[in-house]
Amino acid sequence: MNHKAVSRRVAVSGIGAVSGLGWGIGPLWEGLRAGRTAIRPFQRFDHSAHRTHLAAEIADTSLSSDPRCQRLSLADRFAVFAAAEALAMAGLSGDTAAPLEDAGVWFGSSTGGMFESERYFSEFLRGRWRNARLRDLAAQQVNAPGDAVARWFGVSGPVSTVSSACSSGALALGAALDAVRSGEVEVAVSGGSDSLCQLTYAGFNALRSVDEGPCRPFRAGREGMSFGEGSAVLVLEPLERVLARGAEPLAEFSGAGSACDAHHMTAPDPSGAGAAAAIEAALRDAGMPASEVGFVNAHGTGTPLNDAAEWRALQRVFGERAGELPLTATKALLGHLLGSSGAIEAVATVLCLRHGELHPVPGCAEVDPELPVSLVLDRPLPLPGVRAAVSTSLAFGGSNAALVFSRWTNS
Amino acid sequence: MTEIFITGLGTVGAYGSGAESLRRVLAASELPAPSEVDRSAGYHLAQAPRKALLLDPALLREWVPPGEARRMSPPSRFALAAARMAFRCAGLGEGLPDERTGVVISTAFGPSSYSEGLLRQILLEGPESASPILFMESVANAPAAQIAIASKARGPSVTICQREAGALLAVGQAAADVAAGRVPRALAGTLDEMTPLLHSLLDRFGALARNSGPDGTEVARPFDLRRAGFVAAEGATMLLLESGERTASPLARVAAWGSAFDPTAPAVGWGTGSAGLARSLRRTLDRAGIPLESIDRIVTGASGSRSGDRVEALLLKEAWGDLPLPPVLAPKSVTGEYGGGFLGAAVLAAAGAPFGPTAGFEEPDPELGVVPHDGSPLAPPSTILVTSVAAGGAASWLVLEAP
Repeated sequence: MNHKAVSRRVAVSGIGAVSGLGWGIGPLWEGLRAGRTAIRPFQRFDHSAHRTHLAAEIADTSLSSDPRCQRLSLADRFAVFAAAEALAMAGLSGDTAAPLEDAGVWFGSSTGGMFESERYFSEFLRGRWRNARLRDLAAQQVNAPGDAVARWFGVSGPVSTVSSACSSGALALGAALDAVRSGEVEVAVSGGSDSLCQLTYAGFNALRSVDEGPCRPFRAGREGMSFGEGSAVLVLEPLERVLARGAEPLAEFSGAGSACDAHHMTAPDPSGAGAAAAIEAALRDAGMPASEVGFVNAHGTGTPLNDAAEWRALQRVFGERAGELPLTATKALLGHLLGSSGAIEAVATVLCLRHGELHPVPGCAEVDPELPVSLVLDRPLPLPGVRAAVSTSLAFGGSNAALVFSRWTNS
Repeated sequence: MTEIFITGLGTVGAYGSGAESLRRVLAASELPAPSEVDRSAGYHLAQAPRKALLLDPALLREWVPPGEARRMSPPSRFALAAARMAFRCAGLGEGLPDERTGVVISTAFGPSSYSEGLLRQILLEGPESASPILFMESVANAPAAQIAIASKARGPSVTICQREAGALLAVGQAAADVAAGRVPRALAGTLDEMTPLLHSLLDRFGALARNSGPDGTEVARPFDLRRAGFVAAEGATMLLLESGERTASPLARVAAWGSAFDPTAPAVGWGTGSAGLARSLRRTLDRAGIPLESIDRIVTGASGSRSGDRVEALLLKEAWGDLPLPPVLAPKSVTGEYGGGFLGAAVLAAAGAPFGPTAGFEEPDPELGVVPHDGSPLAPPSTILVTSVAAGGAASWLVLEAP
């Protein structure tokens, strides 16, 4: 890319996902709409010595009989599956599709194939080198899921992996938006992927940031996050290109913004200033007033400090509307997908816009009176006239990102 | 149109701290004294190389005092030291004029020592022994966050992990942020630490030079027929990018940036798609209106890697076709692989710094057809292409113009 750039409107032409709710967009939307949480006891590794024992695990981790899968980590497999679904939905894969020469991949990941490399290190650090397979270690690269997608689909344009903890996926989507807008690529395959692993499971537990029960974003008595895993991918193309081939955009990707708290390594700025700056930057990028936003898909981890900071951010941006604006928190159903969370929440936001209803969070516990958000509970909230939505991501180190999507209507 | 200038350069590595230290070793083609890698943990194979280009931690004290450093991983310390050097170089040593500063940096491996320590605790001692300090500094974006916290930089904070292509990707993304007017300035750079564990693992993948120099020492030989791997290094290099409005004495102008991927590359190696990469490079130059003929210097990421140098050479040969290549520099012969010395060298090349003959290069590889710089005097540069190809398939490039 160079700075002699053009600016084009960008459509979401395909989406794909794998999550604790299952493989594919179908199970995802069905579960989200029903407010069904995937957070439950899990089997991926022995967690008996850990402090907590729940996660939104992807139970069936087989992908296909394709021998190429045998060398892929779980995070890579999730990514390839989600990308395949998204590209198929966009009509960009299959025998009749054109090669993806003008495509690029922008991905987010927090730990890549750490689950597999933990097997390696478990042997290696004990001096049992002969039992340690280098193949397990090769999978560990944080850039591996994005690279795997590019390799699988023959992408020869830019490939870049963001690893900015929990805002990685959203930041990757922002970079992809820039690339399509500017004409650097005609197709961006963008999202994130992470799998459960002991490193993050033990690490967040060491910080006492994990709820022993399923996470309860914005609720009174919330005690922390829950883990999830999976991948989500959005295919982005110039709006005109999608319309020219007679396809219908799923949504318009209107803007992205990011900003840093510059406050603390693990605690958010309690004033919410950094998160607010990211949302305002995204709205500015979209050329959209805050009044056009019809709902928010919050980062909503369920940690006391994070949710409080996010509420302050919403107050800063939306003023008195903050408490009236319908709000959901996808993590209550899928857990925290870490580097992939921004991507799967972007997919959830697009689905909500497309269906004209906001997915609920489960349970009937009281919303924290200190954070009086309009949390959608138990059943979907119809929003037939909704025009735009914001999805937020807040990360370790104060890296905040926000995405703005607009509902696509023929008019 | 917004012009983007590099106004600050900070670097720290085995060559010392500061641009002048790097300039000196590049001019003299003098490999910094390599350090013995600690093999006491027993990670290394018997025949593994013994040395790497490690930095002296004492170099950091001037920039990151011990009281501040005590809660930071080594890569965070490297990065913060280099960032402060870059700010001072740009005349902003007393503080940033406002908080609208982005931080976009890359790391190939993240904070390896803290990740290793955390894994040891979890896997060998049990998960409840996991240290919160190790965890919070084991995330890849910890160095970017520490820079932002220390300098009150509240613009975008992004960490890119794309192996050896990451540094130029980070500069490109920072330049895009400045060009789009999101921030008036952004810090861009790269960092890595070289732990005994990482060093031993790179050797197990066959990446490191072994016994390639006199007396059994390790020597990188970029583009040489007998090249057999690189010398591992650690350190950090940070650049301050600013829009054209505040550019008293820039080091270089950022004219274009781009990247591509070779889908034929395996996850931990290089592929056969140099022609595709070359087409993408040409496309970047065409879009930026930069004629190939105007490029009068190439700073390559060639490191002595058998396959990596091959792809990098063929990429350039394909892109230039029948045209003769301009002088080709391979600064990793001196700076080693990782740690950002290469990025610092690229900026110094644009600023007209002299480069000595390519260390370790003796015999051309006829398949590659690239003979790197022999140390003869070069005319002042005008337009510099910087390239880097990564294991796994990614490639990135940057065009810098002399100030």
